[in-house]
Amino acid sequence: MLVSILRQGDFLIASIHTALDDTEMERFRQDVVTRIGQFRSRGVIIDVAALDVIDSFGSRCLADLAHMARFRGAQTVIVGIQPDVAFAIVQLGMDLDVHTTLDLEEGLALLERLTAGSRTGHSAIGVLGDDR
Amino acid sequence: MSVHAAGHSSGIAELDPLIRRVVGGRLRDQSALDDVVQETLARTMAARIRLDDGALAPYAIVTARNLVSGLWRREERSQRHLHRLVDRWEPPGPDDDVVLREQAEAVAVALAELPPRERLGLVAHELEGRETASLAEEWGSTPGAVAAQLKRARAKLRVEYLLALGRIDPPTPLCRPVLMALSGGERRRQRELEAGQHLLECDFCSDMGPTLLQSREKGAEDDVQVPVECDADVVAARQRAREVAAEVGFSGTDLTLISTAVSEIARNIVQFARRGEVVLTRVEDDGRSGVRVVARDAGPGIADLDRAEQDGFSTYGGMGLGLPGCRRLMDEFEVTSKVDKGTTVVMTKWRQQPN
Amino acid sequence: MATTAEPGIEVGGTDGRLLPELVSHLRQHRTALREEWATRITAAHLLSAMTPHEISTETTSVYDNYVEVLETGSVEALQQYARDLSERIIPRGVETHEVVEIVLLLRDVLARSLFEKYHDDFSLLNEVLDAYEPAANRIANTVAVSFVDERERVIRQQQEAIRELSTPVLQVRERLLILPIIGVLDRQRTKQLTEQLLSGIRTHRAKVVVIDVTGVPAIDESVANHLVQTVDASRLMGASVIITGLSSEIAQTLVTIGVDLNKMNTIGDLQGGIEEAERFLGFHVTRSDGS
Ligand SMILES: [Zn+2]
Repeated sequence: MLVSILRQGDFLIASIHTALDDTEMERFRQDVVTRIGQFRSRGVIIDVAALDVIDSFGSRCLADLAHMARFRGAQTVIVGIQPDVAFAIVQLGMDLDVHTTLDLEEGLALLERLTAGSRTGHSAIGVLGDDR
Repeated sequence: MSVHAAGHSSGIAELDPLIRRVVGGRLRDQSALDDVVQETLARTMAARIRLDDGALAPYAIVTARNLVSGLWRREERSQRHLHRLVDRWEPPGPDDDVVLREQAEAVAVALAELPPRERLGLVAHELEGRETASLAEEWGSTPGAVAAQLKRARAKLRVEYLLALGRIDPPTPLCRPVLMALSGGERRRQRELEAGQHLLECDFCSDMGPTLLQSREKGAEDDVQVPVECDADVVAARQRAREVAAEVGFSGTDLTLISTAVSEIARNIVQFARRGEVVLTRVEDDGRSGVRVVARDAGPGIADLDRAEQDGFSTYGGMGLGLPGCRRLMDEFEVTSKVDKGTTVVMTKWRQQPN
Repeated sequence: MATTAEPGIEVGGTDGRLLPELVSHLRQHRTALREEWATRITAAHLLSAMTPHEISTETTSVYDNYVEVLETGSVEALQQYARDLSERIIPRGVETHEVVEIVLLLRDVLARSLFEKYHDDFSLLNEVLDAYEPAANRIANTVAVSFVDERERVIRQQQEAIRELSTPVLQVRERLLILPIIGVLDRQRTKQLTEQLLSGIRTHRAKVVVIDVTGVPAIDESVANHLVQTVDASRLMGASVIITGLSSEIAQTLVTIGVDLNKMNTIGDLQGGIEEAERFLGFHVTRSDGS
């Protein structure tokens, strides 16, 4: 199994379990976006802890995914980027402008806050993790 | 032709028309010509570190000539290496007993040509595994001096071995010293001897010189070649890069930086050229070790390299980070490209020295 | 040197008759020979960092190991001993040449005693020396190489320790890391710093990092770039970064390379930075409790 997409209440938890090539990566992105529409999910976690390389294509795909999810009304949080990978992404010059947290637990907590804010009509600005 | 040179020197670009003339006089097939030119440039880039600047152009010329005659020879034989873009020079393989015996004899003859102390030192070091420190003690010298002496002895041995194998005496008195200087990568000596000039004038040395320099690259025969034509190959290339770099002794972060750079460069091949290869080589220089990545394709080339190397320039549907990004990930980075002919990227990362 | 796969040492050539004789001679005169050796070590001003008692203890062990190698032809035990010995004496400041010289002294002391024993029978003496010398040289090499290896290992270790010290990642409270940077930042150090910080974020599950650059006089553009990359990479790992102690020179460099300082979270001094970080974390706690 290369990837898995699980539904948990309002959220989707999508995990990449192994290195993906570009085609597989694009299919994954498409699958996640489709499921968001299908389940009317309000938030998505993308777990990339298993990836040992996220190059420009991978970064772009993740950023696109977050944007497409946003169009469908869902917030995206990328979780589990490895230290070396984080370093390589910035060295490469990618501006991966998405929500990121250390792991799944943190990611879910952040999603709760992001979506709670929008549900009650309050701005999420100022919440840690949602800022620069 | 547009070339952007990073790192210590440039000048490879200016060689292109020269090489093209040399090869053009010998080859009619256009694509073979381009292959030879690309390969010559790549080899010259790789050998540059051991060459005096004055010997650069002569080296490129004789390398091109050798590649052409190698091409002729190969065409007469089989086409079993068709999947490779350009075949590399291969040392005579141990095809049969006769060859093996001849090689053994050549080694013996070559060894006999060395002064006794160098001979003993080399045997003790290479065969018995004695450390330079212990040799230094025996010779009343320092390990550094012994290492330098052994390096010279090894360079000399390579020359004598090739001479003995071919059962030929060099035609001029200058040949041996020139070949020695090339073999040992002694740039100042090359300059003193005007090695570049000699390479051009002497058929004998123009055959031998590049052979010596090519075989100098430690572990060159252990090159890892990854053919790249589809998405999955990009993943394979970066995984192999990680393995090779780990063997060289790179640490975690560097492994990720190297495999990310290889991923970028391999994807460029798939996106632009459809087909090409990534060659991973362990390199040694001056006591430091590193990994060299050569990515070549026979694709459309890059029209405006200077622009392609600027941040923000979109090389394909991506974010335009390919080339400049790779440059930041690696220590040395060089691209040669020609429209409709193809692109070669040579990039190197060195292990950090504990200083 | 193939220290682990040392071929056995052949003593006494094909006939092997000399071996037991040699060894028993050295055993028989152990005390006298060892003392002479120790005396010559002192006379040559070697091992001056060690006390006479220590010298006595170590020379006894080396002597016994030496004879054992001659007897068994295996250098493994000697290697192990030489490594342990090196580990003990390297911190005392013993130098490589001292180790080499004392082993050569022992070789000569023993050779001389053999000479004295066999000088009546010249051809026998030659045979004994022929058997003894290669073995003795190999022993000397083994000891010297072990010492050099160990020394290099120690040096490497020390360098790493120093490097770690120069960029400490401190956890001041749960989920808050401080990285005080002191001194000149070069490319390699900045890279190490980033690696340490990023793995520190994961280990400590940090949510906020305060990088204090009060102790950094100035930075060049490439280091400034790297600093910005460190901030971005930390964010990718889910941690926010606060930079404190930014001098006007460094701020200027950052602006020069196009950094929008408004986007960086900068606070005047370290104390202020820590307070801000704690507010951050506290805010986070109240907030998630309330939702
Ligand atoms: Zn010649």
